[in-house]
This record gives sequence, C-alpha cells and structure tokens, in this order.
Amino acid sequence: MPDLKELYEAVVSGNAKATQAITQKALADGVDPLKLVNEYMVPAMDEVGRRFEANEYFVPELLISARAMKASLEIIRPILTARGDKPVGRVAIGTVKGDLHDIGKNLVASLLEGGGFEVIDLGVNVSPEKFIETVNSRQANIIAMSALLTTTMPSMKTTIDALKQAGVRDKVKVLIGGAPITQKYADEIGADGYSENAVGAVALAKKAVAAA
Amino acid sequence: MTSRERVLAHLEGRPVDRLPLMPITMMFAAVQTGARYRDYCTDYRVLVEGQIRTAEAFGFDYVNTMSDPAREAADCGAPVEYFESQPVALIEDQALLADKTKLASLKIPDPLGGGRMHNGIKALALFKERVGKDKIIEGWIEGPIAEGADLRGINTLMMDFFDDPPFVHDLFAFVIELELRFAREQLKAGADVIGVGDAAASLVGPDIYHEFVWPYEKKLVDGIHALGGKVRLHICGHTRRILEGMGKLGCDIVDLDSMAPISEARQKMGPHTILLGNLNPVSVLRNGNPADVTAAITECHQQAGTPFIVGAGCEVPRDTPPENLRALCAYAHTHQP
Repeated sequence: MPDLKELYEAVVSGNAKATQAITQKALADGVDPLKLVNEYMVPAMDEVGRRFEANEYFVPELLISARAMKASLEIIRPILTARGDKPVGRVAIGTVKGDLHDIGKNLVASLLEGGGFEVIDLGVNVSPEKFIETVNSRQANIIAMSALLTTTMPSMKTTIDALKQAGVRDKVKVLIGGAPITQKYADEIGADGYSENAVGAVALAKKAVAAA
Repeated sequence: MTSRERVLAHLEGRPVDRLPLMPITMMFAAVQTGARYRDYCTDYRVLVEGQIRTAEAFGFDYVNTMSDPAREAADCGAPVEYFESQPVALIEDQALLADKTKLASLKIPDPLGGGRMHNGIKALALFKERVGKDKIIEGWIEGPIAEGADLRGINTLMMDFFDDPPFVHDLFAFVIELELRFAREQLKAGADVIGVGDAAASLVGPDIYHEFVWPYEKKLVDGIHALGGKVRLHICGHTRRILEGMGKLGCDIVDLDSMAPISEARQKMGPHTILLGNLNPVSVLRNGNPADVTAAITECHQQAGTPFIVGAGCEVPRDTPPENLRALCAYAHTHQP
C-alpha cells in the first residue's frame, strides 16, 4: 500500500506520473476512492490555492498541479460515477461571448475540480444559449462566468437575462470574475457572487451549494 | 516646446516645460472617428486617423500603432479571429505550434511582405508624413513570452517551462529574431520609440521570469537600442515580483499597470528609468469621475517621483468618459516633472 501522503505531495509538486501511479496502486489495494479525493487531493489543491494567493506559486505551478490532480481524477471519477456518488456541486464555467481569454477561467476550473466539484468547462466565447443548455442537459447548479475585457463584460448581463427568459434563473447560482469585474457590477447585473481571485471563487461556490 | 521636443528632451534627461503625456489608446481611438475596431486593426489609414484625432483632441505627445497582439503571429500563419468591435485574437486551440516540432521549420515572415506587420509599418510611414514634425511616433512589438504564448498556446507554454525548457529557449530565440526584424523596419519607417508588450510575463514568478524571459527581453532591448530606437516596456498585470528584473533591462520607459506599486518600482529601478502610469484604467479612469482621476494621477506622480510620464495603468477603456481622460491630460499639461 503506497504512502498516501505521497499523493498529496505529488499533486502539490505537479507530478502527474506519480499521482497516476499512486492512485492506481491505492485503488488496487482497496482504498476507497472518495478517501483519496477528500483526504488527499482536496487538501492538496487547497494548499496549491493557498500558495498561489500567497505569491509562492504562479500560473505555471498551478497548472501543473492541476494536471497532476486531473490525472488522478480521470482514474477515480468513473468509479465514483458507477457507484452513484454525487459531486459537491456541478459548475458550468466559461469565458463569455466575444472573449477568448481563459487562463483565469482555467485556474478557477482546476481549483473547483480540486474542491470536489464536477466542472463542465465550456471553453471561451461561450454564448448564453450554451450556458442555458448546460443547466438543462447536465443539471449544472452553478454558472461561473469570466471576462477580461470591459467590452465583453456586458455578455454577463446578457447571459443572466437569458437565464431568466429561459425560466432557469432560480435553478442556478451565478458567480462572476475577471480583471474588470467589481462587486458593484455583480450587484448591478444580479449575479449571486463575485470573487476577485481564484481561491475566493471556490469558497463562493461552496457557500452557494450549502445555501441551496 | 513641441510634443516631439518635449519627449526627446525628457528621454535624454534634459529640462522640459511640462510632464509628457503618453496614455495607451486602442479602442478609444477608434471611437473618436466612429470607426469599426475591425477596420482600425486591419486598415492602417483608419488607425492613423484615430490616433491623430485622439492625440490632437486630448493633447497627447505621441501616436502609436498598437491595435492588438496578433500582427506577427498572423503573419507566421497562426489562426486568428477578427471581431467587429474587439481586438484581433489568437485561436488557442488551433495554436500554430501546438506541435512543437513545427518550430524547426517555421520561417520568419518578411515584415514588408504585405501582411499585418506591413500594415503596421505603413501606419508609421503615414504618421511620419502627417505628424512626424510635432509628435513622437511609437511602434509596437510583442515580447518573448507574449509572442511565444501566441504561437504555442498560452496554457501549453505555461507548462513547457517545466516540461521542456530547451524548447522554450528555442521558441524565445525565434521570437527575438522575428521581433528585431519587425522593429528594424518600424524604425526605418519612422518610429522613434518601440513599445514592447510582454503581458504574459506577469503570470510567471520571478524564478521563471529570470531564467527564461529576462534574457530574451534584454536581447530585445539591446537590439532596439543598437538600431537607434528607444524602448517603452509594458507588461500588463501583477509585476510586483519582477520589478527589479524589469529595471535591469535598460528600458527608456517602463510603463506599469495599476497592480504594481509605483513607489516600489522607483526604489527597485533607480533614479534614471522613466516610469509611466499607473492609475487603474477601469475602477478610476472609466468608472470614476474627473476628481478621482486627478487625485489618482497626483498620487501616482508623487509615488513615482522623477522622471515620470503621465498615462494610465493600461489601455484607456473604450467607453471612458472623455471628461475623465481630459482630467488625466490636464494634470500632465499643468505640472512639471
């Protein structure tokens, strides 16, 4: 049986080969996959997030840690799905229509996944219709939108209005973020939450599902 | 003093009549002529008209050719998307160098080959013809990590620093050769200053910056100087951790975004680097009022000390109230360095 602390270390140091190998061995030895997620991977990504906020880790370090975590989750997820385990929440995340910037969105998506959420990453230039479709077809209960430009921010309001039109606004919590976004703007357009950083976004998402 | 005399004197450390004024405008400049931003990016005459109209209306000391980050990459063959009202952008999931091995056979495009770089050069020639006696003319190139990210895909490049360091060095070396060729043609066409945009540098920490980015930024700065140009460095975003390194590049002007404390920049870069900036372009310049802008730029100037040039932390947003921009300009027009 591998020392599971090494799984934590492998995520924090961004070693995807090690996370894969340790996960496979642990599962073969009968370790509960949910234990691997909740006791090792979630705390590891919490630590990665903490280091990022403390300016010890930067985008490259966060991305390789996320890659290491995903390598393990790819093995674990089918097992959890097969036995009917539900994620903490289901987030549809994307950069809004007209905007192709995605680094920030990718960081938030990785931390959310590391926090136990199922993340449906819709990519960039995402239309309101695509967000709505994810609510209907994949039962997303959180919509997370990102924009980097003042000129694409209005797509956030358009999306919230479209959610109302489609009759699904009350089925989801809408969280927004990005460089030009402010709490004031979030309040103006009727978003449920705004975070100025990636770690804060995860905390918001956890609060959102707890309140639901 | 003409604008041109003012900026050149300031760059050479000679006395000036008032603070130079060089804010970055892109979409804001297009709005001044009612032009579609797509045309501003693709038709040099639209860009030139927008810049000149803006410079004259607001009393800027310069004009510049920066419209979007995708000129060089488009000429290399990278898939790009043209928007009606937004800058041209790279399509990351079709990145030109998604396959690393393609770098070995990638040819440096001719800046005068009829492509987007050539369009930028024509803008400079037209600037020289129309305002060259009065204004400083600023061209633009992408820096090593910015252009590297445009060619490779930014998410992939970020992991390449760990996965394949030799490839990153090869990629950045290619970029420097491409950008120095572009800079040379821009200077020949009439540019006085070359702006260097290296936004992605603010996403990496000091270790990666010093190992991979700084050596190539230094080659760029030295190369532009050897060609007779001045350098304005602009790295959007959080550059607090790399201020000292930025200071050692020998740039003539360092243009800081609002997240980097400008007093710290002065401390780390010494008394000779000209600092530019750095009030928050969204929360202050766009969302504030003229009094907020005046207070903010006063504070920036005090924190930055001398030498200093007035500008915002980054691009003046498209829908900035004109009275707010006028307040920023009025500060420069009425204050000594």
